[in-house]
Amino acid sequence: MAILQMRSTLLQFSFLSLMCCHFAWAAPANPSDTHEYQFSNGLKLIIQEDHRAPTVANMVWYRAGSMDEVNGKTGLAHVLEHMMFKGTDKVKAGEFSRLVAAVGGRENAFTTRDYTAYFQQVEKSKLEEVIKLEADRMSNLNFDDAEFLKEIQVVMEERRLRTEDNPDNLLSEALMATAYMSSPYRHPVVGWMNDLVNMKANDARDWYRSWYAPNNATVVISGDVEPEKTRALVEKYFGGIAAHELPVRKPQVEPVQKGIKQVQVKAPADSAQLAMAWKVPHLQPEDLDNVEPYALELLSAVLDGYDNARLNRVMVKQERVANDVGVSYDMISRGPELFTIGVSLAKGKTVAQAEASIRKVLNEIAQKGVLESELKRIKVRLLSNQIYKRDSIFGQAMEIGSNEMAGFSWRDIDPMLEKMQTITPEQVQVVAGKYLVDEGLTIAVLDPQARKSAAKDGK
Amino acid sequence: MRALKQSFCIVLMTFGLFQVAYAILPIEQLDTFKGAKVYLVQTKTLPMVDIEISIDAGDRYDPVGKSGLASMTAELMNYGARTERGVLTEAQIADEIADLGANLGISVGGERAIIRIRSLSRKDLRDRAVRLTSAMLSSPTYDAKILEREKQRSITELLEADTKPESVLERRFRKSVYGDYPLGESPTVKSVGSVGVSDLSKFHQQFYRGNRMIVSIVGDVNRAEADEIVHTLLKGVPQSGAAIAPLPQLQRSPVEPLAEREIEIPFDSQQAHIAMGMTAVTRSNPDYYPLMVGNYILGGGGFVARLMSEVREKRGLAYSVFSYFAPGKDTGIFQAGLQTKSDQAALALDVMSSTMSNFIANGATPSELQAAKANLINGFPLRIDNNRKLLDNVSSIAWNDLPLDTLDTWTAKVDAVTLEQVTAAFQKYLAMDRMKIVVLGAVK
Repeated sequence: MAILQMRSTLLQFSFLSLMCCHFAWAAPANPSDTHEYQFSNGLKLIIQEDHRAPTVANMVWYRAGSMDEVNGKTGLAHVLEHMMFKGTDKVKAGEFSRLVAAVGGRENAFTTRDYTAYFQQVEKSKLEEVIKLEADRMSNLNFDDAEFLKEIQVVMEERRLRTEDNPDNLLSEALMATAYMSSPYRHPVVGWMNDLVNMKANDARDWYRSWYAPNNATVVISGDVEPEKTRALVEKYFGGIAAHELPVRKPQVEPVQKGIKQVQVKAPADSAQLAMAWKVPHLQPEDLDNVEPYALELLSAVLDGYDNARLNRVMVKQERVANDVGVSYDMISRGPELFTIGVSLAKGKTVAQAEASIRKVLNEIAQKGVLESELKRIKVRLLSNQIYKRDSIFGQAMEIGSNEMAGFSWRDIDPMLEKMQTITPEQVQVVAGKYLVDEGLTIAVLDPQARKSAAKDGK
Repeated sequence: MRALKQSFCIVLMTFGLFQVAYAILPIEQLDTFKGAKVYLVQTKTLPMVDIEISIDAGDRYDPVGKSGLASMTAELMNYGARTERGVLTEAQIADEIADLGANLGISVGGERAIIRIRSLSRKDLRDRAVRLTSAMLSSPTYDAKILEREKQRSITELLEADTKPESVLERRFRKSVYGDYPLGESPTVKSVGSVGVSDLSKFHQQFYRGNRMIVSIVGDVNRAEADEIVHTLLKGVPQSGAAIAPLPQLQRSPVEPLAEREIEIPFDSQQAHIAMGMTAVTRSNPDYYPLMVGNYILGGGGFVARLMSEVREKRGLAYSVFSYFAPGKDTGIFQAGLQTKSDQAALALDVMSSTMSNFIANGATPSELQAAKANLINGFPLRIDNNRKLLDNVSSIAWNDLPLDTLDTWTAKVDAVTLEQVTAAFQKYLAMDRMKIVVLGAVK
């Protein structure tokens, strides 16, 4: 793509891209194609063999995301991600990207609330070069204050582009900050502008020294590789890096919400928007058999998983109260989880009408349940997506890494999909009635304001 | 609905891809059916198939006053279709696609409408997916009530777009570069409002015929199965139809004084958005390769490009800055752009202009050329390493009338590019005194 959105802040996974499984009427992948190694310095390596094409994806995942930041320093995880391209003892600023480019590589990095990840995609004979570069910047990052001062300006431009001038993101920022009182999930990944303005190069260096260590990282390599040779390469470059003690992570468990919260955002826009978000459980690594997160995933698909799913059918097509509607829920996450329904209103409709319409759809499920045929349709789509997913080696590495960061093993991925297939309509009905209730609800409304100079062309 | 976004996405997706070093799966050209050309790449490792139908029915065929018609004609195909066994409603079509575990995508660009269907290759599932697509392609119902609903949604989106800096900029920039050529017009509340059911049916009847279609298939099917797919797919499609009036020629952006080329749009956003560009080349132009390699150096090559280095890395002026050529079957455009804090607009525009001007005048350095070739050639396998990317390539080769061995010769053509060719090509097609400039939201 010509328009670069590199070193990007936000990454959202749909459930479909997260799951992995094999089923009777498709060619199964061989589980023995995945290999896991644990090095003595704490580094974990996962190799996913896929020999369809002579290419490789190399990813390094650090379990340090914006949820690990503290007050006054929001956005730090993401700023460090930018600084990771600004030089080490041996590789000067900007050189990392030049070296990756020279071997024909594509590279990027991204930060979420849960983790920070870096990757390169290369032809397979170039793998050693990028492993070497990643290992170098795991322990030898060394940037000038001047580089920091320029890059923090870039990050502020990123925030202006994606948040300050973007009402959708202003709304979701306000929603998160309202829904959570104490959880660090209340802060945006990119950080609050004032924290960025006051951030210092040493804040970034402290972050790096705290969290960038082999015992806080997982390397995921997928593609046309020989596992044993690849393990040896990773050991050669990462094996000598010393582990160190990580900062203590306080649980910062969000207190139970006791009643509806509401927030309004006024921003330049034409259509009003409504978001309703409920506190719901997510899957815990030590309790893979808890049916509720699976049922919530299926509920989100019953509501929004295909063009004729319930919310789109009722709100967009029949009642025409919404121009667009979407649902987000991800059972795989480190922090607390929201089940969110977002609506962009149709012309002439009110927020109250949209809310009533959402409540009607949810009540119907809580009262009457969902159809067996609806659930079957969604399960079939989940299964076919397991085949489609394998068209991308990068997607497979993403799936493994994001699960590992949330505390799961790649070995859990198949059992999770199998569990999903066992969920019944009754179980979906139960979670709808139990969790989508007002006690844990946050409502955010975008109140559109005319932009003073909008759409008035100059000369 | 994505219908009314006239975007270059399709062109970009298939822009500048391909070459050799590894055994490349052959592109097979199958027998033409109903006048449609058919291409196949057999990949056997996954039990799935991707099918694309490109139709020469893009936004540039919008009639005067009906901007948005071409997009709506395509986007409404899956909202009702006639089959031999009666009418399928939009709900039935959506449910069937979901039940099959298939994915359907419809998109419309300036030149063509594209339908893509991804299905498991198991015959019964694949057959149902193909039959369904066939009905949508040949016999959409274009229900009046659904049209009214979708028009309302489009109009709502257009009004929203008028509040977004990037949308307002893009719309004005297109008008500047394309001028009177049909792609200069963007859909408006009025033009969308004026579209009726008869407009959709008429447009569909005129443009959706075999001799304006190309079918590309990538996946786990053999030649015989691919033939069968095409015959089912195009069964109800007429081979040809009444003559269609030729499009006007896109006139090269003229030399003009700055005041005639530059437009300032007041906008109270935090960032100013800047676009700069002009008409350029077709994809089949032999100068495409020097331009592609040169643009990698100027603004296409991520963090190592000159624009990125000057604007972002050295000065911290922007998060995103880029340049690209969007060549098509017909002449496409060159575009560069960035976003920066409103009060830095003049400085950022200066840096961008002088970087471009310097590159056009003096070209690249030997080490830059070498680095560009290294990246493009070493990275070639990444352009063809899955079915989706293969389909993008086949589709581009077929649509742009490129030789079938384009992928096989790609690295050699990149490698053959010289410094002199890059400079000559940039000077031949681009000129600073022809560049249209749109600056939105600048504060002085």
